Amino acid sequence: MKIMVSTGHLGTAPSGRESFDRGLEAGPDVIAADAGSSDPGPVYLGEDITMGLFHTEELELFLTASRRLGIPMIIGSAGDTGSNRGVDLFVEIVKTAAVKHRIPQFKLGFFYAEVPQEDLLRRMAQGQSIDGLDGFPPLTREKLVQTSRVVAVAGVHPFIKLLDMGADVIIGGRSGDAALFAAPAIRAGLPDSLAYHMGKIIECASFCAEPFMGKETIIGTITESDVLVTACHPDQRCTVASVSGHAMYERANPNFEYAVGGSLDMRDCRYEQFDEKTTRVTGARWLPAPEIRVKLEGAKRIGDRFIGIAGLRDPHLVRHVDDVVRWSRESVTKMFGTEGYELFFHIFGKNGVLKELEPIKETMAHELAVVVESVAADASLAERVTDYAVRMMFLARIPGVKGTAGAAATTKKAMRYLPGYVWTLNHTIPVDDPLELFSVHMTEAGV
Amino acid sequence: MTAVRLTDIAKTIRSKNAGVNQITFDIIFPDAQTYQQVKRSGAITPQSMADLFGVRRDRISAFVEFDPANAIKFTIMRSCPNGSPGDWDILGCQYYAPLMDLTLRLQPDIA
Repeated sequence: MKIMVSTGHLGTAPSGRESFDRGLEAGPDVIAADAGSSDPGPVYLGEDITMGLFHTEELELFLTASRRLGIPMIIGSAGDTGSNRGVDLFVEIVKTAAVKHRIPQFKLGFFYAEVPQEDLLRRMAQGQSIDGLDGFPPLTREKLVQTSRVVAVAGVHPFIKLLDMGADVIIGGRSGDAALFAAPAIRAGLPDSLAYHMGKIIECASFCAEPFMGKETIIGTITESDVLVTACHPDQRCTVASVSGHAMYERANPNFEYAVGGSLDMRDCRYEQFDEKTTRVTGARWLPAPEIRVKLEGAKRIGDRFIGIAGLRDPHLVRHVDDVVRWSRESVTKMFGTEGYELFFHIFGKNGVLKELEPIKETMAHELAVVVESVAADASLAERVTDYAVRMMFLARIPGVKGTAGAAATTKKAMRYLPGYVWTLNHTIPVDDPLELFSVHMTEAGV
Repeated sequence: MTAVRLTDIAKTIRSKNAGVNQITFDIIFPDAQTYQQVKRSGAITPQSMADLFGVRRDRISAFVEFDPANAIKFTIMRSCPNGSPGDWDILGCQYYAPLMDLTLRLQPDIA
């Protein structure tokens, strides 16, 4: 079975067409893509907004190819976060594209992954423990009721269910990235171990090949005994180094990959160069879990957010930027107190990216940009704090400054940005049936 | 003993989110020989990485020498989960920069 993938995050930028067409010539059995992630942060899930701007073009490209070849198309984590609105959005895009291209009628399967708050409250009341991952404490009732939206991360199960129901195209809610690629292979009776390992390697498309190129097509070929990973772009190759290197991408532990119902043990896996553009992968083991746990993601709104930007060019001010920031923060505290808002200074040119993890303590830049960010439940307070903090950088009183017209070049008016959210759920919950948090549906599309 | 900069001998140095609360760092070497030399140098350890980034040792949540990829991998707990107000590098994709200037003293291979 050959599974084709051309993007690691559907919709953020278009797939490269040359390698996509070469992939189609190789005769894939499935076209699949992951459309989402928790990487962009909690605001997209919390506000239920979609980040990418190329979803329509990409879904249209995959749909027309899949229908022309008569092979399934499988998409996970619709709309970036896999919310119900994201699924509905993608289903509508597919239906519209099917009419536009006069595609003969086909079965369009989809599943939702949002979990209603009442459902989780009921489970907690029954004594189910919702355990935190990566340092998050167990979920409390208080944290849950503050949460705007919760999605469960699906394994292979809803995808297999929809394939069993005859779906030609599947739009999934929030899904594990490896699972959506593993599902058709497992349904075809191929080994779980190879199916999940293939999914893990190809889920970011050409990130598993070299040299570094995004959005180019990869084909994963799975048999009873091995997985072959092949780069389709003429300038890319899947090498032992690129494929084994990708196996540890985005994971704290490169030896294990967790999925709904078990984990993949990659300690004894082997990578061999098969041909110029292909690496052969074998040896991973699938370890079924004694208890089935599903991951939950949820976000809570902190408040409205405003930002402003101040530039420092006077070398004396650049050297004393910490004093400028301190003056501004103290002025804000005198004016607004310390409660009801958060205020951040991102000092680009000094430690704007790494903050306290930055080992270089003294800046060598000749100018600095300071992004001021404030979040408050009261929007007007966030706006006034941001505006005032930028103004107080302009008015900062720093001994020894020669300039007397202003201590910062500023944008003046504060700008409204996306609201501030934090993750409240990064947890797992036990289930009896891996499908119980996901509702599967079937509709028709085409003409 | 030869002093070399990590950026001159590593093939890939990168950082990226591993879930919402950790940033994982991958240092991948071009061949097993370089990788083994770096391992033997003892320059890259959980403690030295904690020192480089100025964090306590217990913020290093994982440290793995991953032979199949000739790679050393370690993971740091974030100050706050990704995308919280105040977090600018939401993907954690620029945190690797301080590794580039790390200087190592390597022993030549004993034939």
